[in-house]
Amino acid sequence: MSNFVFGGLSFFTAFVLQAQNESFLKRFEPTLVNFLMLSFLLFVVGIAGVLSRRSILIILMSIELMLNAVNLNLIAFSRYLQLNQADLVKKGLAVNSITGSVFTVFIIIVAAAEIAVGLGILVTIFRNRRSATDEIDLLKF
Amino acid sequence: MQLYGWEAIIFYILAFSTLIMGVLVVSSRAAIHSALFLLGTVINVGMLFILLRAELAAGVQILIYAGGVILLLLVALMLRQPRQISDEQSDLYTKHMWPGVLLALLLAGGFFFAMNPAQPAFRPSADLKQTDASLSDSRKELAGAGSAVSNDTQNVGDAFYKTALLPFEITSVLLLVAVIGAALVARSLKQEPLYSKSEIAAAEETTEPDSDDDEAAEVAVESEETRTATTETETKE
Repeated sequence: MSNFVFGGLSFFTAFVLQAQNESFLKRFEPTLVNFLMLSFLLFVVGIAGVLSRRSILIILMSIELMLNAVNLNLIAFSRYLQLNQADLVKKGLAVNSITGSVFTVFIIIVAAAEIAVGLGILVTIFRNRRSATDEIDLLKF
Repeated sequence: MQLYGWEAIIFYILAFSTLIMGVLVVSSRAAIHSALFLLGTVINVGMLFILLRAELAAGVQILIYAGGVILLLLVALMLRQPRQISDEQSDLYTKHMWPGVLLALLLAGGFFFAMNPAQPAFRPSADLKQTDASLSDSRKELAGAGSAVSNDTQNVGDAFYKTALLPFEITSVLLLVAVIGAALVARSLKQEPLYSKSEIAAAEETTEPDSDDDEAAEVAVESEETRTATTETETKE
């Protein structure tokens, strides 16, 4: 435990010492790639939840997590296209930056419909089987 | 796209809290804790949307996810039997937990190795920085960064009613079908065929006389209600 604390402190002090010059800090300004990494890590966490948890409710929540990650990805690309519209049009690319936001709203609506139907099925399972949902694991490899 | 100053700091805070909450959604013991952590994750992602100047998406995210989906999840959690919690505490994960986690980690590593060479390409290059002063004005105008309200909501609304009208209408039909389907699937037990033979036998013993009684009781309640209603209307008159 103390190893982790001291390691973290040493990294932090190195960071603070290097942060004196401007160009070092510039490396940490978030770009599109940072958003992509964040959304991908969220997606990976969702995949791990779907594959490893037994409770069907948690699996549904993990699917929501993955949908959120996809939404974040779409919005980040939308913003990127919006900011670089002039450059990209100059290069001959057709750019429609608003599509990301539109798709995000559609995905959120479809996710809401999916969770409504999924929870309806879940409530029926609870009622009919009167037991844990662990028994319903034929699709869990 | 590059965030400066406070926006960068806010991005890192939001990103780390989002990831930590996401991991806690997947790994926490009680299902209600995961639902609440999912609420936190969803609100964090909504704030990231605001950071990306997508206000409409952020509003929809918080309204529908935090207001609708999490509420539905919590209601479904309340409907479970309390006995089940002790069942779940014994065995949280499937037998194949580690392959799943390994696959996820492999995906993460692959993504990092794929994206690391591409990272410099997304930064503004040196010659671009020199013209940054001239560019930044047009960019700020485009993004509405100087003003309090960006025109994102107007743009997306225009897109909904001009270019994306057909998908928009199809979504409304989808929502209608989902509501009907959810109501149909989650009907009460009386209207459902029972599947196991013992349950059918038990149901034949108990529910048939019960159902008659219930119907009679319902009729009585209804007549009472109509009576009270008529008396109310009479008193009003």
